[in-house]
Amino acid sequence: MRINWKPFVLSLAVLLILFPFVYLVFLSLASEWRFPDVLPSYIGFKNWVTVFGSETGLLQSFFSSLLISLSVAIFSTTSGFLISKAVFYHPKKRTLTLLAYFPYILAPVVFAACLSFFFLKMGLFGNMTGVVVAQFIIAFPYALLFFSSFWNEKVKSYEDLVATLGGNKWQTYTKVLLPLAKGLLLICFFQTFLISWFEYGLTSIIGIGKVQTLTIKVFLFIKETNYYYGALSCCLLIFPPVVLLYFNKRYVFKKLV
Amino acid sequence: MKIKKPNIGILLFVLVGVVPFAAAFVYALLYSFGVIGVANNGFTFQFWESVLASGTFFTSLRYSFMIALVAVLISVGGALWITLKFREQLEKRFLSFIIYLPLAIPGIVTGFFTFQLFSKGGFFARISHKLGFITEASQFPDLVNDGLAIGIIFSFITMIMPFFVLLFLNVYKNERVEELSILAQSLGASANQITQRVFLPILIKKTWVLIVLYFIFLLGAYEVPLILGQESPQMLSVLIIQEIKQYDLDKISEGYVVAVLYTLIVSIAAIVLFLPKKNRAYAN
Repeated sequence: MRINWKPFVLSLAVLLILFPFVYLVFLSLASEWRFPDVLPSYIGFKNWVTVFGSETGLLQSFFSSLLISLSVAIFSTTSGFLISKAVFYHPKKRTLTLLAYFPYILAPVVFAACLSFFFLKMGLFGNMTGVVVAQFIIAFPYALLFFSSFWNEKVKSYEDLVATLGGNKWQTYTKVLLPLAKGLLLICFFQTFLISWFEYGLTSIIGIGKVQTLTIKVFLFIKETNYYYGALSCCLLIFPPVVLLYFNKRYVFKKLV
Repeated sequence: MKIKKPNIGILLFVLVGVVPFAAAFVYALLYSFGVIGVANNGFTFQFWESVLASGTFFTSLRYSFMIALVAVLISVGGALWITLKFREQLEKRFLSFIIYLPLAIPGIVTGFFTFQLFSKGGFFARISHKLGFITEASQFPDLVNDGLAIGIIFSFITMIMPFFVLLFLNVYKNERVEELSILAQSLGASANQITQRVFLPILIKKTWVLIVLYFIFLLGAYEVPLILGQESPQMLSVLIIQEIKQYDLDKISEGYVVAVLYTLIVSIAAIVLFLPKKNRAYAN
């Protein structure tokens, strides 16, 4: 009899996928877990209580991250949508698209290191506004390229039809373009939110440690070998994307085809 | 004569999308030639000669290239195998949600988690001790901060393989590979022929731009090699930031030389990949 091995492999894969989530929550609940103990000597909510007591500023970091990511997502989605229209209706749209790929493909941390001088001169170094501007610079090309497929002949003919029927630009946007692009705008908003939410290198350069987002906190705890708080920060970092996934998978994974 | 109205959209695009990149590149270029910089005295090739002679950049480039290549090859190969073998099961309700979960984990968390698992005092070292394979933490093999970059490659694979599985599942459905496979089968093709002549060519052809793009992203990865990498050699982004943040002022200029070289490589790759061509699907 031939054994069907697929269910075993799939069960193992599910366990492997869930393992990081379970392990990080477990580690965030642990304390005094010394080598070679397989289980920690303390399991409880001590770390979480401390965090919610704001002793380590983790809760503040969570809200800073949230504020930065929401700002980046709003600015980049809005500007990406509006500016992409000009770019993708332009006769030289292919060359302009190529130009948008340069900042998109470059490592954000290297980009930030080369831009830091300008941020320093503009007074945007080491503050939240600077981090938002820097993250916007890397999220904008993504948002712009995201809308490349939206501006097609069909949409153009809708716009022409509105104009023929006497509609103005405001009406074209509010009655036709925005309702048509609603779904894409939402996906782009959440994806740019995640670009900002997951960002570490660029934030560490432009924020110079003064703007402590959750990713910066994770790294600080790793350096301090405080793995329990590190795991707790990781839990806070993973929580919003999992919630987004629960509501709609497309918020986290852009359907490319 | 009618004066042509400036296109505000394009002006804004140039201002936000082009000027920062150009400014960053010009700044790094001028710094690398000693034209600007606190301790620099004017145009010189000194820093370029120093970087090219020391070979640090080439070692780092080769190291980053190999890590990214191995990670992408294993991830793409694994994802293709999973798509081929488990496609039907992965479309079921529970699994179709579960396979998205790895996308919710950012690089810094993957690095942290890998460190927790594979370090000398980590989860597997504890299990090994309990099972009697080791008696001291130092006996556990170097799986993080190691010369072979096992920890980095493992992290990269766990980060990008789920993405490729989802991508291939999408392409499989949208390119109607199922129907084409049935057609090939009815024309007498064997299972192997269907895989080699239908499944693989369609999936690879439709996604190769993204595969190369992910290779480039891994080449410039920062968080994971920062946590799991070793002192030397280092991956490119880590090397650049380390040099630029040095107290030795000469090293800062050398850091910018590496940054310029890296930017040039990446820009050339972008030009090759996205140079105006017609009929390019799945490019973004």
